[in-house]
Amino acid sequence: MALPTVFLSGDVFTAANANLLRSNQYNQTVSTKTTSYTLVAADVGTRIVMNSASATTITVNTSLFSAGDTLVLQNIGAGVCTVTAGTATVSSAGPLAIPQNGSGILYFTSAGVSIYYPSAVTASASALTLISSTAISAQTSVAIDNVFTSTYTNYLVLFDNFVAAGSMSLRLQWRYAGPTTQTTLSFYALSGYNYAGTLQTQLQNSGASIFVLQTTSGASQALSQVNISGVGNSSQQPVATINSFDNGFLYYLAGGANTDQARTYTGFILTSSNANNFTGNVRIYGYQKS
Amino acid sequence: MTKITIYDHETGETVEREMTVAEQTNYDNVQTEIEAELEAQAAKATARTALLAKLGITEAEAQLLLG
Repeated sequence: MALPTVFLSGDVFTAANANLLRSNQYNQTVSTKTTSYTLVAADVGTRIVMNSASATTITVNTSLFSAGDTLVLQNIGAGVCTVTAGTATVSSAGPLAIPQNGSGILYFTSAGVSIYYPSAVTASASALTLISSTAISAQTSVAIDNVFTSTYTNYLVLFDNFVAAGSMSLRLQWRYAGPTTQTTLSFYALSGYNYAGTLQTQLQNSGASIFVLQTTSGASQALSQVNISGVGNSSQQPVATINSFDNGFLYYLAGGANTDQARTYTGFILTSSNANNFTGNVRIYGYQKS
Repeated sequence: MTKITIYDHETGETVEREMTVAEQTNYDNVQTEIEAELEAQAAKATARTALLAKLGITEAEAQLLLG
């Protein structure tokens, strides 16, 4: 049962009307919508609940409501609902998009002018999202699987605070379904200088693995930053840019790598040289697509 | 056999086990690859030292020469 939008002269105000008014004070009349919806005059004072897995809108038109009229707009569906100005104006200091489990109050200052007060907002997406953080302790071979997906196009992998008992070169190989390791067709070219200006190069022409970083001894802490594309989505060739610093040799190396084999790569394996145990943190981030 | 530790991000599982034959072969190949690179770098360094001696200049002078 709904109340008349407006009581006119001669209308009968019934007990049912009174009970409905009372009940609406503590248990608001709810109208659930599963598709985009245009507000009507009878919605005044009620709660419009959107419940859709895909994006929806609530359209606000003029000449349906009066100054002081209020509605609650709520979204319980996974699809974001956007409050949309139809023929009425809708102002807001916040976003008009209502995320799942968000809500807001639509308040009319006149028949054609409304203000939306959001009580929940969609958090702005971070530019980088931490996907995986792995602390490695005294290992010689470590695989990190199922970290690259179609959610992201580009990834940043930080190899932080890497130490080894002795001189070590850390190498990376891509992993794909299985998981299976890609053991051939990797190329890389890095160059840089040490503190004394001595040139250092790391070059590979179609080999088994990709250079990531090198360390000198247990006291040194190597850091490497690897940006990656061409993984996790459709069958692609991975491409990486590598920035690496060895705090023992004091070498800075920068360059790029490619693996000339298109696959849907989902992870990687790290291998140290000389059977050296290595310790460090591997953090994998995804870059937001937009 | 060498040990391998596998972190599966999807399942959250960590497995440490001996490498399979294929994994061990790959591991050995990577070791061989790195050793070959280190040997090439060492050979290059030796040749550089010999060339500097032949030219009668120091490492620092060679750096100056190359800008």
